[in-house]
Amino acid sequence: MPEPNKWHSDVRVFYEKTGMAKYISHLDTVHLFTRAIKRAKIPIWFTEGYNPRAFLTFAMPLSLGTESYCETVDIRLMQEENLDELTARLDSALPPDIHVTKIAVPKLPPQEIAWADYKIIFEGADETFSERAEKILSDDKITVIKKVKKDREKVDKQVDIKDKILKYSINSENGFAVLNITLSSGIQNNINPSLVIGKLTENSSTDADSASIIKLKSYTAEGHEWE
Amino acid sequence: MVKKEVEPLLKKVQKPARYTGGELNSVIKNKDDIKLRYAFCFPDSYEIGMSHLGLKILYSLVNDRQDAWCERVFAPWEDMEKLMRENGIKLYGLESGDPMCDFDLIGFTMQYELSYTNVLNMLDLGGVPVLKKDRHSLTPIIVAGGPCVCNAEPITDFIDIVLPGEGEEVTNELIDLLIEHKEKGSTRLDFLREAAKIEGVYVPEFYEVTYNDDGTVKEYKNSETAPKKVKKRIVSDLNNSHYPEKFVVPFIETVQDRTIGEVFRGCIRGCRFCQAGFIYRPIREKSADTIDRQCHLISDATGYEEVSLCSLSTSDYSQIDKLIPKLFKWALPEKINVALPSLRVDNFSDELLNELKKIRRSGLTFAPEAGTQRLRDAINKNVTEEDVARTASMAWSGGWNSIKLYFMMGLPTETMDDVKGIADLAQKVLDLYYQNPDKPKGKPPTVTVSCASFVPKPFTPFQWEPQDKPESLVEKQKHLLSSVHSRKISVSYHESKTSVLEGALARGDRRLGQVIYKAWQKGSKFDSWDEYFNYDNWLEAFSECGLEPEFYANRVRKYDEVFPWDVMDYGIRKDFLIEENKKAHRSETTPHCRIKCSACGANMLNGGKCDARTK
Repeated sequence: MPEPNKWHSDVRVFYEKTGMAKYISHLDTVHLFTRAIKRAKIPIWFTEGYNPRAFLTFAMPLSLGTESYCETVDIRLMQEENLDELTARLDSALPPDIHVTKIAVPKLPPQEIAWADYKIIFEGADETFSERAEKILSDDKITVIKKVKKDREKVDKQVDIKDKILKYSINSENGFAVLNITLSSGIQNNINPSLVIGKLTENSSTDADSASIIKLKSYTAEGHEWE
Repeated sequence: MVKKEVEPLLKKVQKPARYTGGELNSVIKNKDDIKLRYAFCFPDSYEIGMSHLGLKILYSLVNDRQDAWCERVFAPWEDMEKLMRENGIKLYGLESGDPMCDFDLIGFTMQYELSYTNVLNMLDLGGVPVLKKDRHSLTPIIVAGGPCVCNAEPITDFIDIVLPGEGEEVTNELIDLLIEHKEKGSTRLDFLREAAKIEGVYVPEFYEVTYNDDGTVKEYKNSETAPKKVKKRIVSDLNNSHYPEKFVVPFIETVQDRTIGEVFRGCIRGCRFCQAGFIYRPIREKSADTIDRQCHLISDATGYEEVSLCSLSTSDYSQIDKLIPKLFKWALPEKINVALPSLRVDNFSDELLNELKKIRRSGLTFAPEAGTQRLRDAINKNVTEEDVARTASMAWSGGWNSIKLYFMMGLPTETMDDVKGIADLAQKVLDLYYQNPDKPKGKPPTVTVSCASFVPKPFTPFQWEPQDKPESLVEKQKHLLSSVHSRKISVSYHESKTSVLEGALARGDRRLGQVIYKAWQKGSKFDSWDEYFNYDNWLEAFSECGLEPEFYANRVRKYDEVFPWDVMDYGIRKDFLIEENKKAHRSETTPHCRIKCSACGANMLNGGKCDARTK
């Protein structure tokens, strides 16, 4: 990507995507931010060429249906701005379920993301579900079926994700089972929590679709919070 | 906002953001503060419906009132409908999440005939009895507008009130009246009696239809307070009529994801096949300043990256040269693209092309509509081969390497020579690329020929014409394919069976209500979507009702036949249409309205005023 030869400053927008906003796909989120930045009149860099487009870099795509408290998009400011004021301006141009928490200079590139915390809530899951889940997750091997692309076609592949789980805890109360889990994350080794959900609800009366997934935090390999 | 019980379904369906509501600029009101709830329904998917300009105008118009709240309703896709039915969830307004049956006024916009079954399906899914005769209380009142209602007869079993023409003024009058009657506690009949007195309101149940032995209409008898003929409503001055300052911005990509500036209504051209060219008359233009201001406001409020101008033929706008630089002045610095659809080949200037070069280029599309000059004259397209050639040369030398040509097949008086002419014209356009000295290197050029099947429509000079039969169209398609000799020319055409149904419904009468009802009961919906269209359902429905689609689609009509749509007055004189029909058969053209007024009669809807002549 050619660097603009004018003054510029790369900043990272930290935002939460919760509630109904979880039904907005990643691609639509890109469009949504492009329009919100335009509405907020934030002076960002556009790519050159015939089809200039807003230059936005999202750290990680978020799966449809997942809520998150740790989303980021990097933008390139072409004018100096007060970042607190900018935070408020962008936040008010976004729908209520997308909330900008801060805009700051990025500390680490997205490649440094290694782990992510998730909270997964299973509705209509009783004690036995938790016990079973505990058993599955403490096994030596956790084999899940992952859809992978092979020769342009999607095929099922069995993978062991045991070493992709850093830690977990599971509790149940009032017909809910709550799984807190730290999964491998990042551009290279991302594990979608739906794989774990699929595994835990397999052959059970609990509906995989009824599980709510909330992404809480991203970490580096050393366990520092990624910012 | 969706109700709690809907949420679990959203995880199981495609594109759930279609069903959540809560989009930017959507309007939420307090139910206690309003007197009337209006559900604006588009009988197709969210992506299509949300692109419709009429919805945007009326949504904003009704919501500008303190006493009314307009919400949006679209046809849910099959996966969502199935889950809704299984879980007993009624089709709801996207703003409140309340079921359709809770609304006072339910308005459908009828943009194409093949969406009729979706109206039935949406009413049913919304908890509203589908048949008018099963609805007895004052509310909900079901109204329908849009181009198809110039012949609303096939859907009158389901619709209480039809609004021919433009909705801006009559919608407010109808809302005022319904509020008054709700407060008085009137009956449905009391309300309809008063409604029928408003100009441009058609209450079908106040008309009795009789038929001749041959199945044609004998007579329409008006009763109660209904006028003999219902005159369509128009907005007199577009500069002072309502236009939204913001659009609802969908979360998902829709067909028209951009700012739309409406430029003018009506069309000066008078192409004889084109219903829109007649039913939206007379010409009324907006000033360049108004359009520029409206586009800028909407762009600011939405953040859209593109502005598009909307009209039937944008290059016929008398102030186009003034408007384009105005738009570019703010759009280009703001990195907003300006799109100019509906340009014509005969007035496409070098200057306009140079302006177009400043912005993103996609392929260029022209519509010669017919392959030979004789047939283009018969349909009054008023485009010559030289026009097409000149524009194609300009486009190739301007750096475009793909040109799309639109044609119609099955036009009245068409012969196999005319069909071959389509291939010849495409070849000529392609050859011009190679004759061009500064042709761009690299990607080879492509010419795409897209053929639609012609469907005769009411209020056009071809309303008397028989529609070409599917067998004949298939023959013509084969002939076209065998006449194309270059792989750089690709040909696509439309499924001809959907056109038969479209044709039957377009010129149908009231008896088709039961056919539509039966087809819907057999599972027909989304008929305009090839993957859902089931022709056998329709054939069965026709035959169970003792009717034939051919009677409506393929029959030659006499000039003195009484049409079901004669109850509507669209300003266009029938004599004028007959004259145009005769000229078509003589392959004679009629000059467009700026050159010479043909006295179609539509200016009388606007006190004798028509911007084709005064500008």
